[in-house]
Amino acid sequence: MGRYEGDPEWDDVAPIPQDDGEGALAQIAYTDEYAEAMSYLRAMMAAKEHSQRVLDLSEHIISMNAAHYTVWLYRAATLFALNADIEQELNWVKDIALENQKNYQIWHHRQLLIDHLYPTISSEPRALQQLAESEISFMTEMFNEDSKNYHVWSYRQYLVRKLNLFNEAELKSIETLLRSDVRNNSAWSHRFYVVFSDPKNTTPGSRATEHDPKIPDEIIDREIEFSKAATFEAPQNQSPWNYLRGVLRKGGRKLSSQECFASEFVKIPEDGEECIRSSHALDFLADVWAEEGKIEKADEALLLLGDKYDRIRKNYWEWRRGMVKEEGVRKGLE
Amino acid sequence: MGEPKLDIERHIKYWQRCLKTVLPTQYTSTDSSRMLLGFFILSALDLLGAGADTFPAKDRKNIRDWILKCQHPYGGFCGSPNHRYPDAYYVDVGHGRQQMDPANLPATFFAILSLSFVGSLEQVKRDECLKWLKTLQRGDGSFGELITQEGIIEGGRDMRPCYLAAAVRWMLRGDTPLSDKEKGDDIDVEKLVDHIRAGQTYDGGVSESFQHETHAGYTCCAISALSIIRRLPQSTSQTNSGAPGLTNIPETIRWLVSRQVGYKEEEEEEDETEAKASAPPLLQGVYENEPLVPGLSLGDVDFVGFNGRCNKKVDTCYAYWVTASLDMLGHDKTKLLNTNGSRRFLLEQTQHRIGGFGKAPGNLPDIYHSYLGLATLAIMKEPGIKPLDSALCVSAQQKDIIGQLRNAALSR
Repeated sequence: MGRYEGDPEWDDVAPIPQDDGEGALAQIAYTDEYAEAMSYLRAMMAAKEHSQRVLDLSEHIISMNAAHYTVWLYRAATLFALNADIEQELNWVKDIALENQKNYQIWHHRQLLIDHLYPTISSEPRALQQLAESEISFMTEMFNEDSKNYHVWSYRQYLVRKLNLFNEAELKSIETLLRSDVRNNSAWSHRFYVVFSDPKNTTPGSRATEHDPKIPDEIIDREIEFSKAATFEAPQNQSPWNYLRGVLRKGGRKLSSQECFASEFVKIPEDGEECIRSSHALDFLADVWAEEGKIEKADEALLLLGDKYDRIRKNYWEWRRGMVKEEGVRKGLE
Repeated sequence: MGEPKLDIERHIKYWQRCLKTVLPTQYTSTDSSRMLLGFFILSALDLLGAGADTFPAKDRKNIRDWILKCQHPYGGFCGSPNHRYPDAYYVDVGHGRQQMDPANLPATFFAILSLSFVGSLEQVKRDECLKWLKTLQRGDGSFGELITQEGIIEGGRDMRPCYLAAAVRWMLRGDTPLSDKEKGDDIDVEKLVDHIRAGQTYDGGVSESFQHETHAGYTCCAISALSIIRRLPQSTSQTNSGAPGLTNIPETIRWLVSRQVGYKEEEEEEDETEAKASAPPLLQGVYENEPLVPGLSLGDVDFVGFNGRCNKKVDTCYAYWVTASLDMLGHDKTKLLNTNGSRRFLLEQTQHRIGGFGKAPGNLPDIYHSYLGLATLAIMKEPGIKPLDSALCVSAQQKDIIGQLRNAALSR
């Protein structure tokens, strides 16, 4: 006898079993426990019952299939209908999240909970502060397991927006993560978001790939310096190189404004052997030189990349050589 | 070891096992995505030339019946029979039409594709499905995965539903220009393009949204959606209206080719682990396949794997997301990759001896990685596999069949 069938508390419920039919696709060896729980969930959803036993049942199903997309929604609706304790639910979700690192639904559920909780505390700065602190400490716990967990970072961005965390503390916490792993590209991306979507200093709706004239020069300078420092630490790390390009575009500045910096990692003497400490620096300089119309120099850099410093991308560098030459011809004809 | 090759027979056996035997209990966590698993199985067998057209008619009928059993009475499909109630529950008994467990966008995409392997699209509730699809679009152009009884659109705003919506629309509508009435019932394509454009971020790739980190999966979904609605450069000859879908294609290409990571075989890795242990702390987090100080690899590598984000580990599925993205930016663009190294990585490192592909070297095969490994080789024109249509992620031949089935269903 199943767990629910034998339980007097569920006596009044007629379960709705699944009908898979013959020759079904992708049949799964469901356990009897799962099949029974699902048939009771279907009965609950059909009756639109929102009760404590629905919470227990949904918890049971989530423990077996955390990716069930409607059980989470039904659980949230039940919690709200019962006026349940949201903080208690946040704690429960925390444990589930730590056990299911790859699950998406958990984070959506957590957002629903915060959205529900927020209006009840939005006028109390201390409560908001506490919420931000406890959420950030939970995310730190998640990052200790995997500092690049995509869902956690999505949630982080949601929280920054919701609780207006475009602040110094947020930048500092990113720096802490980058100090332990300067190649954490998720942290770099988050920094870009926190700096360049901060409503205080940016044009609303400005996209990641656009120049934003509203950003103060000091911020552009500060971010350039930040990426440079990280590059000196690990020149072959592509994250700060990408970041630098992004910052320059936001600031409406040319790549060539950083020619000197990139040249720190690239020495190509007239005669004798070159000294290259970063393929990304060479790539950057190739773009600088192409931008300045120095076609031969750009070509030489791309050739070095394909032949020696980044051979696995040989085909790509050859293609870039073709593009630079074409561009040169086009400019020459003008 | 001789010349690496795809062991076609073993792959067919692997997929036939997936088709014929019950999947182990561990797959319970994918119960809500059974339609996706079913699609992978049918399409893999098609790519390998052992598709549903070779099954006994009774098996085809059973599969067709099962898929149709997951169709929502008001349009769209559900992820598995566990999400579909008996018909009586949906009837309006004075409280409006009951959605029960609502139809789901990914399930709908995979169900329609799967049906195309086993017969016809005539029983797809086309008009209802297209009307439902329109209700999934939000004001900002993005799509959700489902809409609740209360009219709330649920699911992320990322590129996956954008792609799925574009593909479902194409499978049901095709490429012919719409009449004014049809336009009124159609999704807002301009807003969709705008939303996708907004997802491109500072390093050239596409992210869940512009606020987040670029990811090969999202980049591929964005490019696939644009390809299907003909907003990529090479398809401008067909439609010239509206803004192009990507803001900066050379930057996107740079980001895509940067996903290639040289991979060394295990015995060499051991040396590297030792070296890594004594490396200074500033190199913490360096992946073991990352070249050592000063960070440049001057030698040739035999194997080239792909990561999905900057500085992440290689994984079979990213070979697909990256290769397919480049293929859609122009068929010649896949030549920008190190196809030889990438082919060898798949065949010698993640191909499993029982057939299928694992996520990473040494891993057991699973349905998801096995399909995407195979599909990558199909784009690279591996002998013995049918050529792939990267936007729909089925054989080019199957794409044609979908067009024929659509026309047949429409002229019924």
